[in-house]
Amino acid sequence: MAGNKRGDWSEWSSWIRERDDPEIAHTRPEALDDLLVLDLSSRSFAGCHCSTFLAEHGAELIRIEPPGGDFIRTCTPYGIVYRGEGLNYLTEGRNKHHITLDLSRPEARDIFRKLACKADVIVETYPAGTMDGWGIGYEELKRENPGLIFASITAFGAFGPRSRSRMADYDNIAQAMSGFQYDTGQMLPEGKSYDECPWAVPTKSGPWIAWFMAGTFMAMGIMAALHWRVKTGKGQALDVATSEAYARIDDFVALWYEHTGRISERFGNLDIALWLYCFAPTKDGAVFLGGLRLEMWQAFADMVGKWDEWGASGWNSVAPFTKEEEQLQWSERVFAETCKYTSGELVEMSLEYSKHGRLAPITCVVAPILSPEECMKDANWIDRGIFVPVSDIIYGDVIAARAQYKMTGTPPRTRWVCQPVGHANESIYSRHLGLDASELGRLKKEGII
Amino acid sequence: MAESTWKEYRKNKKSKPAPLEGIRVLEVCTMLLGPIGPALLAQLGAEVIRCEFPPMGDVTRSLNPFGWFYRDQSPLLLHINQNKYWVGLDLHTPGGQKTFCELAAQCDIVENNFRPGVLEHWNIGYLKIREINPGVIFLSKNGYGQWGQYARENRPSNDGASQALSGYSYMSRFPGQTPLKMRAYIGDNYGGMCAEVAVLAALHYRDRTGKGQFIEFSQTENIMRPMSWIWPYQQITGETPEPSGNRDVSICPADTFRSRDGVFVALAASTPEEFLGLCTAMGQPELAEDPRFRDHLARLKEENAVEILRVISEWIRTRSADEIEALAERHGFCATHLYTAKDLVEDAHLEARDFRTEIDDPMYGRYRNYEFPVKMSETPPKTEWSVRPVGFDNEYVMKRFLGKSDVQIRELYDAGALGKWKDAQGRRPPPGWDGKAGLRQA
Repeated sequence: MAGNKRGDWSEWSSWIRERDDPEIAHTRPEALDDLLVLDLSSRSFAGCHCSTFLAEHGAELIRIEPPGGDFIRTCTPYGIVYRGEGLNYLTEGRNKHHITLDLSRPEARDIFRKLACKADVIVETYPAGTMDGWGIGYEELKRENPGLIFASITAFGAFGPRSRSRMADYDNIAQAMSGFQYDTGQMLPEGKSYDECPWAVPTKSGPWIAWFMAGTFMAMGIMAALHWRVKTGKGQALDVATSEAYARIDDFVALWYEHTGRISERFGNLDIALWLYCFAPTKDGAVFLGGLRLEMWQAFADMVGKWDEWGASGWNSVAPFTKEEEQLQWSERVFAETCKYTSGELVEMSLEYSKHGRLAPITCVVAPILSPEECMKDANWIDRGIFVPVSDIIYGDVIAARAQYKMTGTPPRTRWVCQPVGHANESIYSRHLGLDASELGRLKKEGII
Repeated sequence: MAESTWKEYRKNKKSKPAPLEGIRVLEVCTMLLGPIGPALLAQLGAEVIRCEFPPMGDVTRSLNPFGWFYRDQSPLLLHINQNKYWVGLDLHTPGGQKTFCELAAQCDIVENNFRPGVLEHWNIGYLKIREINPGVIFLSKNGYGQWGQYARENRPSNDGASQALSGYSYMSRFPGQTPLKMRAYIGDNYGGMCAEVAVLAALHYRDRTGKGQFIEFSQTENIMRPMSWIWPYQQITGETPEPSGNRDVSICPADTFRSRDGVFVALAASTPEEFLGLCTAMGQPELAEDPRFRDHLARLKEENAVEILRVISEWIRTRSADEIEALAERHGFCATHLYTAKDLVEDAHLEARDFRTEIDDPMYGRYRNYEFPVKMSETPPKTEWSVRPVGFDNEYVMKRFLGKSDVQIRELYDAGALGKWKDAQGRRPPPGWDGKAGLRQA
């Protein structure tokens, strides 16, 4: 809420910063450092991201790839490779010990079974049935290790009529199947065709959000399963379908369709369900405007000098403004005002209004729309430590967004960003299975690791 | 085999335990970022007590698509508040603050999403709650965190601000077009989820040591994390990354096209087998051996990617969406039309998996909504009941959790600490409520 009074912020903020600044994370214990996790993610960033959560909380994370490396390493913008590594994987191999194992070979599966006996958690993303076909699926492994938590992320899930589809798990496909791509994007200008306006089409999110959602939900599932295991000693199998994970956050369109027959369509930079809630053009770019509560919408009207002309004192709910026709009309009025100012001026006007405006401390949310470059240079985020480069012994200083939350007791931390394929073969195989150099040499020669 | 693991999952779901049974959560949250997290814990079996200010409650109760309410209630509220107990507690009053503290003493996890310092103003900040409950896991979510310039300036935030400030919207659009606000409330909902990962990690640590902690969460910081390659790209190339519409610049081909029958179709085929399958389906298997396209890294290079996407685009214009989907399944690459709300509602696969699950609620009747998307073979997450009017569960919570008598509860009402709904849309019971359905006996 934009209008709540606050107590002594400075005292509290100093107290908490002393205890959760990422700078001191390395002095604190780790939440999951009692766990051994195997990550077999195959060409899925969802699995890689899921295991990162566990690794950043201190689990010993063994990342198992086929001898040539996982295909996901080649998924990099424009084919750019930095010191042998694709730029996505360069940010998501973090804190993981990378070993190789060709699971299509029987001897490799025996090695895997030995590791699986010791593991608390396995994350895997092979098409449903693949691990079973190799004789290393959940039902087999749990006989030896009943406390095992076995987590599978796939395109369609482990069961259901489409679970044996040949189609692999991709972020863009999951975005398409989630329902979100269809009704996100600019509206086609009246009288124009798609050939004339190839940008006014359903538009997906730029980042791999579906894969990240699937990985994040699975991390939640794994940790909930861990709690259950602490209580009962029992492990279990977990199943996530990527498009379902993304669709889960869709707040209303299915219910809306089911009860009204109305299919949600693109509404540009306005919002089907919210007013005032849009991107608005300015003199030098665009800003986000957020005034969901009546008083915040009134504050906006007041801030741009339209309190009387728009009759803001007579409004008693934002609900009427949410209707489609009203939004289209009112957005034109709003944009005519925002175009008179720069983005920076509007941000300042909003902050100033929160101090001296008629409705202060209530104000309208105004945020500039920044490029990633501007964001990375923003002093606020630099100060908060999210872009502090990770000093990696192999890749040097790498800027990869750090763990996304701060904790006083067991803060997450990024020790390294990535490792080359098979980098930890010797240390992991000798430590966990007692394999010596000559044995490893043989396995390597035979293409098993 | 996997079949036996998941056999009759849907049928047996309700009779199995949930993983967080016995965990209690107290929330004073608003909008979407706040309530979604505790709802996910509630679907995992935690008992969640949700506090709102009476009589109007949370502003989410007013939100609706183009004026449509489901049985007089906001469909957005329904979606992010499953399985909760609803208390109307005025935290501006001493009695409300005291009751909040009494509840916090009974809970494992306390969550809020106000700007920094607001809870301190209400005398229910972390330092106070920690005194009462030393093992508490205390989560504060908001736009900019507890410290730093934006927190100092006391800037308000919400989902759209996080999409704008992070560069997320900048990267989600066609080149040269205005940055696009995603229809998904990614900053809020993805944010709420990630914060629960922190909470559950803290819970594991507490299971081991008995120790609680404070978790600080900024939704804007959070949404930078899934932007993966974008940050090292700037550092390494010295250039600003640019958006690419529906084309995935890290996977090739992966883009959205338009079919002969005018349907938008997303397609992906990156591995050698998939790419060969696609080229075969297109009747041009030789493309799979073309040195420009044979290797994935070569194919991703701008000029090669543009060329192969052009070839695919022209081919798709000669086929219907149905044909392309069938060819994808036959040749082993990926293609799908873009799902509409109708497609999701009618999808038999989602229903068989109980992702589209039915809620049979005493107040809101039978309707369907999305289930927690992790299937758990031993402890299935589940949706058990819907939302309630402001303060609906006051008596139940006061008696069951705090052991209060009818007289004590009356005193809290008289002091303005407890309250119930106003007779307004989204706040009151649905039309036709019989005065009894949904009430719980402590």
